Amino acid sequence: MENVVTHEEDWKVCFAELGPGLVLFARQFVRSIADAEDIVQEAYVRFWRKQHSIENRGLLYATVRSVALDLLRRDSRRARREAAASADMEQVTEPQFDFDDGAQRELAAALDLLPVEQREVLVMKIWNELTFAEIGAALEISQNTAASRYRYALASLKKNFVVHE
Amino acid sequence: MNDFSELEAELKKLRPRPASPDLAARIEVGLAEVAGHGTATAGVLPKRRSFRPNWWALGLGLGAAATFLMLARMNVDRPSSKAAGLALITPAPSSPLARVDDNFVPSALTQVVYDTRDEGLHFTEGADEPVRRLRSKKRETMQWNNPQTGASLRVSYPTEEVTLVPISGQ
Repeated sequence: MENVVTHEEDWKVCFAELGPGLVLFARQFVRSIADAEDIVQEAYVRFWRKQHSIENRGLLYATVRSVALDLLRRDSRRARREAAASADMEQVTEPQFDFDDGAQRELAAALDLLPVEQREVLVMKIWNELTFAEIGAALEISQNTAASRYRYALASLKKNFVVHE
Repeated sequence: MNDFSELEAELKKLRPRPASPDLAARIEVGLAEVAGHGTATAGVLPKRRSFRPNWWALGLGLGAAATFLMLARMNVDRPSSKAAGLALITPAPSSPLARVDDNFVPSALTQVVYDTRDEGLHFTEGADEPVRRLRSKKRETMQWNNPQTGASLRVSYPTEEVTLVPISGQ
């Protein structure tokens, strides 16, 4: 039988491990940390309430994505604002990462220029270590499509960013 | 080999910003609210009780109702062969209250008089004295219960009652 989050301490342990990656994933849909955390909060509570297995990470990310899209649909003005913000990200977007140097800042900026379909796959793969099967389940796409988007994302990044030695 | 391994390594060096400390507290509050509304379920909801009509009892009830309606439409103006007394146009209460079926037990009988009219003196054929004719309109309701199933059957119908009161010339 799968492990199911049933104890108060369990969700805290899981959240300590998954929280930053979930917030980063939610940030792909909204541009403020506050909104991203609201999304993660609602999604995590919803996921817990259904007593899904925490092993089912694809479903957890699908829940985050669903809550984020619901939020955007509910407030179309907000969606337009977010779209406008994404066009001028450097000025208004709170950084998603802690940077050690300028090269990392450039890499994060290049990441922000990717289409959202590629960015969400990259975020799930790199910082959340989901398999392509799990990513496919979360996004309701095939495993091969997920892998293709990942490769396209890396290719675009490589084109726009030179790895600093 | 993976052409992007170097780039992947660079990406992994980027550290996502940690969630704010109060996010965990907010989730805890959210989960507590969920717990306060009862135990969470895994999507298993109690099965809805389906309505299954008892066709046999329903048919019996409709048959009984039709019978009573036919009795209620009997001609009420025919005077009684007796010189005075009560002209009943519906069966005696004891008759309808008889058991409709082995499973149904009579449980209630109500009789509401909602109109009484004095139709004056009348001379009946062969009678020496006039009689006063009083017409009463009523609604009778009878009810049966089935103790085994809890089903109930109620029949309500209108009746008219004509009473001939002898007038004494003294």
